[in-house]
Amino acid sequence: MTKRSKGANEDKLIETKSKNVSGKSQKQKKPVEAESLKEEDLLQASGTDSDYDGDSLPGSLNSDDFDSDFSDSEDDGTHEGTEDGDVEFSDDDDVLEHDGSIDNEDDDGSEHVGSDNNEEHGSDEDSERGEAVEESDSSEDEVPSRNTVGNVPLKWYEDEKHIGYDLTGKKITKKEKQDKLDSFLATIDDSKTWRKIYDEYNDEDVELTKEESKIVQRILKGEAPHADFDPYAPYVEWFKHDDAIHPLSSAPEPKRRFIPSKWEAKKVVKIVRAIRKGWIKFDKPEEEPNVYLLWGDDSTSDQKSKHLTYIPPPKLKLPGHDESYNPSLEYIPTEEEKASYELMFEEDRPKFIPTRFTSLRSIPAYENALKESFERCLDLYLCPRVRKKRINIDPESLKPKLPSRKDLRPYPNSCYLEYKGHTGAVTSISTDSSGEWIASGSTDGSVRMWEVETGRCLKVWQFDEAIMCVAWNPLSRLPVLAVAMGRDLFFLNTELGTDEEQEITKERLHSGNIPEPDASVAAIVTWLPDELYGGIKIRHFKSISSIDWHRKGDYLSTVMASGETRGVVLHQLSKQKTQRLPFKIRGLPVCTLFHPSLSYFFVATRKDVRVYNLLKPGEATKKLETGLREISSMAIHPGGDNLIVGSKEGKMCWFDMDLSSKPYKTLKNHPKDITNVAVHRSYPLFASCSEDSTAYVFHGMVYNDLNQNPLIVPLEILRGHSSKGGVLDCKFHPRQPWLFTAGADSIIKLYCH
Amino acid sequence: MDIDGEDVSRRLHVKFVTKLDSPFKVPVNSVAIPSNVTRLGLSSIVNSIIESENPEWKTEPFDFLIDGELIRMSLEEFLLAKGISAERTLEIEYIRAVTPRKEEEPSLHDDWVSAVNGSSPRFILTGCYDGLGRVWSSAGSCSHILEGHSGAISSVALVNSNDAETVTVATASKDRTLRLFKFDPAESVDSTTKVRAYKILRGHKASVQSVSAQKSGNMVCSSSWDCTINLWNTNESTSEGESVSVKKRKGNNQAEESQSEGEAVTSLVGHTQCVSSVVWPEHDVIYSSSWDHSVRRWDVETGKDSLNLFCGKALNTVDVGGESSALIAAGGSDPILRVWDPRKPGTSAPVFQFSSHSSWISACKWHKSSWFHLLSASYDGKIMLWDLRTAWPLSVIDTHNDKVLSADWWKGESVVSGGADSNLRISSGIAIS
Repeated sequence: MTKRSKGANEDKLIETKSKNVSGKSQKQKKPVEAESLKEEDLLQASGTDSDYDGDSLPGSLNSDDFDSDFSDSEDDGTHEGTEDGDVEFSDDDDVLEHDGSIDNEDDDGSEHVGSDNNEEHGSDEDSERGEAVEESDSSEDEVPSRNTVGNVPLKWYEDEKHIGYDLTGKKITKKEKQDKLDSFLATIDDSKTWRKIYDEYNDEDVELTKEESKIVQRILKGEAPHADFDPYAPYVEWFKHDDAIHPLSSAPEPKRRFIPSKWEAKKVVKIVRAIRKGWIKFDKPEEEPNVYLLWGDDSTSDQKSKHLTYIPPPKLKLPGHDESYNPSLEYIPTEEEKASYELMFEEDRPKFIPTRFTSLRSIPAYENALKESFERCLDLYLCPRVRKKRINIDPESLKPKLPSRKDLRPYPNSCYLEYKGHTGAVTSISTDSSGEWIASGSTDGSVRMWEVETGRCLKVWQFDEAIMCVAWNPLSRLPVLAVAMGRDLFFLNTELGTDEEQEITKERLHSGNIPEPDASVAAIVTWLPDELYGGIKIRHFKSISSIDWHRKGDYLSTVMASGETRGVVLHQLSKQKTQRLPFKIRGLPVCTLFHPSLSYFFVATRKDVRVYNLLKPGEATKKLETGLREISSMAIHPGGDNLIVGSKEGKMCWFDMDLSSKPYKTLKNHPKDITNVAVHRSYPLFASCSEDSTAYVFHGMVYNDLNQNPLIVPLEILRGHSSKGGVLDCKFHPRQPWLFTAGADSIIKLYCH
Repeated sequence: MDIDGEDVSRRLHVKFVTKLDSPFKVPVNSVAIPSNVTRLGLSSIVNSIIESENPEWKTEPFDFLIDGELIRMSLEEFLLAKGISAERTLEIEYIRAVTPRKEEEPSLHDDWVSAVNGSSPRFILTGCYDGLGRVWSSAGSCSHILEGHSGAISSVALVNSNDAETVTVATASKDRTLRLFKFDPAESVDSTTKVRAYKILRGHKASVQSVSAQKSGNMVCSSSWDCTINLWNTNESTSEGESVSVKKRKGNNQAEESQSEGEAVTSLVGHTQCVSSVVWPEHDVIYSSSWDHSVRRWDVETGKDSLNLFCGKALNTVDVGGESSALIAAGGSDPILRVWDPRKPGTSAPVFQFSSHSSWISACKWHKSSWFHLLSASYDGKIMLWDLRTAWPLSVIDTHNDKVLSADWWKGESVVSGGADSNLRISSGIAIS
């Protein structure tokens, strides 16, 4: 029994062993089984039932409990020693019974009555168990079998020459079969033959030693296998059996605990039937507790209110320090402040003037109490309250994704040069085709020609009238300046260019043989020699508002704003002739423009722009609806498909004529009238100038790909002109990304990149 | 000399050295000076040291170099910025400050002075918007007037001053021609002599912007608004038959002079816009700057450009000089003076950028003998003297009250400049060793 004290784990192991057949091959498996048992035991400790053996809950204590049980209930202390084995056995038996029988709900006690009969058998088992314990303790003297085939039927090797394989994997050949007679004779001769046993598995004869044969004999006799084992050793009482204050029930688990209850099963069947037939219903809607936050904020409970439109009334302002009966000194207005309240409008006047009282008692009744509460009531039920729909959008995300200004360089941004000399507002500027010179006209009646590089004024032409327009001939070999003032249009020879060019220019401007004008235009214009500067002047019947050269430098269109249907005429310099437009113009013309490469002609009236084909007289080929109130200026992209229109309300429209007759983009930048717009000849730049004395520079990239819309990015606001009068004209340098601006402050500025 | 560690400002051991001659020399002793002195403080220290030895010493401004870099902040900051240890004895080299000490009387012209040339130490050449070139032997005394142009002169160049008597000069004008003049600078100092061109060079189709002569004096090159650079022969003879001699009668003058006309020998084509400036520093290399934002180096023999530096801004002026005459300085339509080193492989970024001006740069010129000094003139009315060893201008000459259109070194120690205030101004006494 001392072995048992080692621990319940080992105990159980042994018990299971003893129940099964003992054999060498079985013994080998032992350590593995012990492992798995340990795990089982742990599981049992956590309370799960096991059908393995009797001692179910809680682990190690149980078997001993049984022990004590028996000694108490049945045998009353007699035969202490023998009982131990008995108990062990009956315990096992009990388990078997539990496993096997279902109906028997009797107490264990009655079972154990018959257990005494099996005493012999029990002791037999006991002795075997003792041996097992011995062997498990001294496993090193155990001879390993030489065959390694394992637990397979030996008949598989019946027909083979070998019986199996040894540890190194070599075949173990069978012994030669001896003649039966010889072997019989040999057994007769040998005195030890009764001790020999043939081991079929290893194909060898095993001779039992004397000890072993004695053990066998003892087992046959039903005694403990070892002679030195004392089955009647004194009982060591490990646990006392006196009544404890908290007695642990020693009663074995009743059987009903292990089998399902019949009545329960009946109940379940009833419920199942009820569910199937629909008598029992699930998913009953849970009733909401009919409670609410009495002191909760009304505004948060709006989703609970049945009315969708319910809006909680605004809260009254809570009283602060100044409404206190004894506010701090800084809340109390001085006499001057009180006097100043009197001067205020009644609406602005503070409703309540903080005053100090020495005690609560001395506070008079609030005179406005009734009035205010009445007004509050009016507010509550008469004032419509509307829920404001607010969308949370990051304003940044609404901005279009534009490339950085840095990447769009070069563009004009800083003013380095100023052209000073005019005494009146500079109304118009024009650069020559090379970019060396710039001409300007002013209200002081002078036209000046400047050297761009140095700001040197090279030439001055003085006239009596304010200059309206100057335009340099686009041909570099014909350095003629067209100047419009009042009703007259002058062609001035700038005396630039080589000698041959000068000769051609002089010939063109020769006023000797001006041909007779056609009858149709005689009333509108007359060509006259210019006495002042030896050129030609054309007198119109109304004052000229704008001029534009054709790209070939021969034709020039003039616009007379008040000329109505006769407001636009075309002059031909080489033939010194004038012709009216071959089509009718609707509305008052503002400015005109030649297409940079094709024979189209743009006429801007006050509200819209019409495109005419000069080769096909008749109606306009296209009408661009600007949506502007009053157009002031126009400029065309050198590609010819994009038109920029500036208006007097400060708006600028970009038309992509391939896209639509509506503006592709409308830019509202200037607070005042746009006076002029300009497009750069080679760089993707355009600009607008305005009476607010600023000029805006934009990046206007037009792609060759028709699928890609033009990219318009505002780049720079050019300030610098004095605020009176604003900027009257802007022109780009023909080759550099520079912008000239002409101001009403009589200065021309050059903005460079 | 011990170091007082508890002193308010730290002290540095310095040793002043110089390459200047005897009156400027100080004993080569190490002295301890506070570390927070600036250039002015250093200058006064050196002056007081010299004065202690030489009682008649007049105070002289100095500039100071540490490891070849000019000091433009306090010594302490400089050492920190450059990572120089303050433990050892510092060796500070001092040079005379490059700043004009004297301002000569302005020489008034009739119109804007558009071109100034100080190549010859004997006289100053100016070109004016009234179409006349002038030769000034000194401030205020005009010895010759070069007449003949019908447009404003845009550039003047000294062609040949080898023979002592006669000097050849070339003028470029906005009337699309160049003219070559010969005169004797020695004669008639008292009265002004009028000189007519001996040769007229026609061929440009637009205003000529700049002219520059070969070192030998046999050829000049000119750049123009017609995007070309033309090369011309300067010889008087018409033996090659390319130029036709014409007799020109001067309208009201009795004198009848022979004027030959020359045609361009060759044309260097490649710029796409106005070629604003040319220089011809070596026998067969021409540098040009243009409004098409490029600086090009032309090989005269082949007529091809061997170098093309892109700048991003329209350029007005270019000059070559500095270390072994290889650095290119150019300025243009922004306030930044840029210096390129074309010998640096694989980069076209400028090695120096000087940006103290506030408007366009109209002229830049390298000092003829110094590797480090150059001047720049700007439309903001200032002329700045620069040293490659510092990013700050050495000195600012602010005598013009309008745009400065042209500037040049004269005699190695003066700056001559002309501007839109119609004055030629001479700032002299600049000590460049």
